[in-house]
Amino acid sequence: MSARFEGAVLPVDRANVDTDQMVPAYLMNGVDSSGVGPHLFRGMSGGPELLAAHPDATIVVARENFGCGSSREHAVWALVQRGFRAVIAPSFARIFEENAYLNGVAPIVVDAARIDALLEAPTLALDLEQQRLTSARGEDVTFALDPLRKYFLLEGGYLEFMAAKRGPIRDWLRKVGETTSY
Amino acid sequence: MARTMFEKVWDAHVVEAMPGDNALIFVDRIVAYELTTPPGAVEIERRFDDKLFDPSRIIAVNDHISPAKDSESAMQARYLRTWAQRHGITMYDVGNNGICHVVVPERGYVDPGSVVICGDSHTCTLGAFGAFAFGVGTTSQAGAMLAGCVILQRPKIVRIAVNGRLAHGATAKDLALFMVTKLGFKGATGCVLEYCGSTIDALSMDERMTLCNMAVEAGATTAMIAPDETTISYLRGREAQPAGAAFEEKAAQWRGLRADPDARYDDDLIFDVSDLRPMVSWGTNPGETVPLDSVVPADASESSLSYMALAPGMRLRSIPLDQAFIGSCTNARLSDLRAAADVLRGRRVSVPTIVTPGSQAVKRAAEREGLHDVFQDAGALWTHSTCGACCGLSLGVLAPGARCISSSNRNFPGRMGTGGRVHLASPVVVAASAVLGRIAAPDELAPVEPAVPA
Repeated sequence: MSARFEGAVLPVDRANVDTDQMVPAYLMNGVDSSGVGPHLFRGMSGGPELLAAHPDATIVVARENFGCGSSREHAVWALVQRGFRAVIAPSFARIFEENAYLNGVAPIVVDAARIDALLEAPTLALDLEQQRLTSARGEDVTFALDPLRKYFLLEGGYLEFMAAKRGPIRDWLRKVGETTSY
Repeated sequence: MARTMFEKVWDAHVVEAMPGDNALIFVDRIVAYELTTPPGAVEIERRFDDKLFDPSRIIAVNDHISPAKDSESAMQARYLRTWAQRHGITMYDVGNNGICHVVVPERGYVDPGSVVICGDSHTCTLGAFGAFAFGVGTTSQAGAMLAGCVILQRPKIVRIAVNGRLAHGATAKDLALFMVTKLGFKGATGCVLEYCGSTIDALSMDERMTLCNMAVEAGATTAMIAPDETTISYLRGREAQPAGAAFEEKAAQWRGLRADPDARYDDDLIFDVSDLRPMVSWGTNPGETVPLDSVVPADASESSLSYMALAPGMRLRSIPLDQAFIGSCTNARLSDLRAAADVLRGRRVSVPTIVTPGSQAVKRAAEREGLHDVFQDAGALWTHSTCGACCGLSLGVLAPGARCISSSNRNFPGRMGTGGRVHLASPVVVAASAVLGRIAAPDELAPVEPAVPA
């Protein structure tokens, strides 16, 4: 996928947006990952209205601790299925952040002091390769990405990567055996 | 070099170091359930010839919606069931199941020092056994089903020494809530908590599971408690553990799993909890919690106050309730039900009250003690085991604006039903509150009149 893109912002001016708010448990009703896009933010008061007001948005901007709570990857699948490619927030919950990387949604950490301005920006330009965020209003921010997960973010293929590790993992297991002494 | 308990477990499971302080970590046990596992299993079925690394390491539990409540959940349960059958995976299904974080330890599937994952954030519950147990997403779990490993960034390690005897009606749940308030709702993100100290030593396994269950509510990857004789006695004789000398040999290994005395931590915290009192959440995350005998804080967040329809300075005891719920992976084990039953014995609830045991085995054990009669004599509903009301899936979903006191772990907006309001508390506080119809501690209840002999 292209590492450079410009997208409209979905301003989620809230902290602690948990994954129950992104996809409530009662809407996790598939056997595979399809079909959750329409449920995005259905558990957040004003969520569907916010999405409707920004139909072309592909970048979420939110406040701290985004994606906390349940491990449900449905929250990220719903973002992907609605066309979102990045979430910008001062901090993320661990599992959400891992899930985002593995599904091609960039979890971009920026300083909390910058979030006000980013929430106001109608569009943002992202360069995931160079790890740089810019806006027409003059924002220009570099951000960190996990060097390993950046590969999965841009190239995908996590399960293929793991499948290729099966041989070395079996070798390791044979070598260490089952018992561990502490 | 001196190592912490977590470091010993981590080091023993690193298959390969990777860039960015990541590592390929071997997984000893994978817990699968019907909501988050099937989408990953489907990917393996479609793209990797349905080939699993080692099905004998997987335990499957239909837990979140069991039995199925509609055709969608029936298809999820059926997928898990047929997948487990096809691969020879041990499965706990309708009639013999319950909440996976209750079923898995009670059947003895958690070895101290092992790595356990599940596509559920409350997998940290199992850290009570000195396992490195943590929640992961579906894809990460699928990677482990396919190749035996997860990729994890090395966490920071925080030692939390907790000393003092729990008194004044405080329970492990109050300790768990207290820790979230101290660490902050996201304050432990990226950290593993190593709990130790005299309070922890004195906790039963049920209580340790309650404490570790809520580590993720502070953002922690997990919590861990070093295995001791309490741990070993709990596991001895459980169905997944070997009998006799083989068990004792494992136990001897487990006794060695503890932090070296001069191990170094990223942070080191000490608490004395002798004065801890029952805690109740007032807001919309578990960090927004105060002592039951206090008031909604003056600096409370506007959005939480508005969602919860509360005002600063309001006494928690004055808050009326519409429902009470005793259940969930936090507080629905046998000791929790006994404690709640002790409060309800001879009394009547005044709001709809739902008691959902943590597993079918817990349910049967409770019934052997007559606890189901205590609950039902008090006017409560005694259900089968499932996640149920905790995550708004079944058996007590809240109406918009309805207010419930709950022994579960999350008071997020909409968690127990769209617009529903949740106050988190211990099972005994939930029971007392159910009687009085408002937030209340057991010591507020009038004494039960002795039954008149016939």
